[in-house]
Amino acid sequence: MIGLELAVHAAIASVDDPEYPGVSIVDLGLLERLDVTDAGDVRVGLIPTFSGCPALAMIRDDVLEAVDAVDGVGEVEVEWLRSPVWTVDRIGPETRALIGREFTVAVRIGTGAPECPRCGAPTTEESMFGPSRCRSVNRCTACAETVEVMRS
Amino acid sequence: MTRTWADMAAFESFLDDGGIVEVDDHMPDEYRQAVFAFIEMHANSELMGGLTERDWIPRTPGLRHKMSVLAKTQDEIGHGHLLYMVAADMQIKTREEMLEDLFAGKSRFHNVFHYQAVTWGDQVAIAFLVDAAALASQQAVFKNCSYGPYRRILKRIISEEGFHMRLGEDRMMRIAQGTDTQKEIFQGALDRWFWPALQLFGPDSKPDDVLLRWHIKSERNEVLRDKWVQKFVPMLQSYGFTVPAPDLSYDEEAGKWDVGPIDWEPLKRTLAQGGPDSARRINEAKDNWERTRWVRDAMDRAATVPA
Repeated sequence: MIGLELAVHAAIASVDDPEYPGVSIVDLGLLERLDVTDAGDVRVGLIPTFSGCPALAMIRDDVLEAVDAVDGVGEVEVEWLRSPVWTVDRIGPETRALIGREFTVAVRIGTGAPECPRCGAPTTEESMFGPSRCRSVNRCTACAETVEVMRS
Repeated sequence: MTRTWADMAAFESFLDDGGIVEVDDHMPDEYRQAVFAFIEMHANSELMGGLTERDWIPRTPGLRHKMSVLAKTQDEIGHGHLLYMVAADMQIKTREEMLEDLFAGKSRFHNVFHYQAVTWGDQVAIAFLVDAAALASQQAVFKNCSYGPYRRILKRIISEEGFHMRLGEDRMMRIAQGTDTQKEIFQGALDRWFWPALQLFGPDSKPDDVLLRWHIKSERNEVLRDKWVQKFVPMLQSYGFTVPAPDLSYDEEAGKWDVGPIDWEPLKRTLAQGGPDSARRINEAKDNWERTRWVRDAMDRAATVPA
């Protein structure tokens, strides 16, 4: 069954975040649990970045579709879990670098000032509120770039 | 690093070679003005669009749509926020001046926000037709935009608008598979929104359009408009709706739809703030800005108090 589980995992990893094309939901740390039974039934447990995230239904549909397409898969169930709570620590260093490079979005880790994805200088917060609940709007103190910062 | 160019010819050849202009470069004034005006109109449109979306938060049919309307509102206002920052950095107008001009009816925003959204069907038509038109225009700017700060912001805006498109398709599918009454409501909305959505692209681009010459836009208006027509006319028909174009025809040989002559008068009226809902919308936006002043003041004060 290891083969099937790997195939299902790869299928889930092929689903991108609807607001970051090219960035996998697995790399953003949304996949919490994956159970594949001997009969090929699959249960996927996802956690949202924010509980009111409007993309939840869409991500769930995308995961269902991707997993359903895997050969040998039986019943598929995808659910949004209430715990654990998602934090930015679940985003790995490579993914942080990717969204910095591709989307000029920084990730707030720890208490220090988030770094500008363009030049690496510290940024200061311009507004607590950006286009999404999981992001604030900052400005780079060196190159003046307008930067969005993902936070938890 | 600040760069300078000897003259306009040198600057234009830099742009033609795919050069990207940054905020602290010594760009020619005409370029600075043209880019600024373009971003200002985009920022105004995001703000006005966000307010339209907000009007529907308490009125959506069901929780699923309420979440999508909430998200779109936050996205649009957030985009406006980012764009006003990028526009203000060009040091032509401050953000306050841009907002004052918007509320005084002195600056422009997209034609589609000069009309009233009467029913939920209108919101579906906007999400489906207008968002697609706006996204196509933005993609054509992003593809080749010579102004770096705007191009980088556009990349994020486009990803989010792509998400709105999917929400629009979801709304559309639900109403198209609905009851006869729902279909009638959508047909009514389609009759109101088809032409404004199509006019969003603007009349044919002029041969000497500086937006094209300076690589701010990368596609001619008529090319984008035609792509939209070729996609949406057959799609709307396949869902069983009537495209409200009396002279609609299909050219078998070319395999293309033609909507017939386009009346540009309604577009001109909206650009002069004379659209059917312009006055109310501008006043609403102004009132809203005044009513929420205390929130901004409180946030500013909180930011100056040591933690």
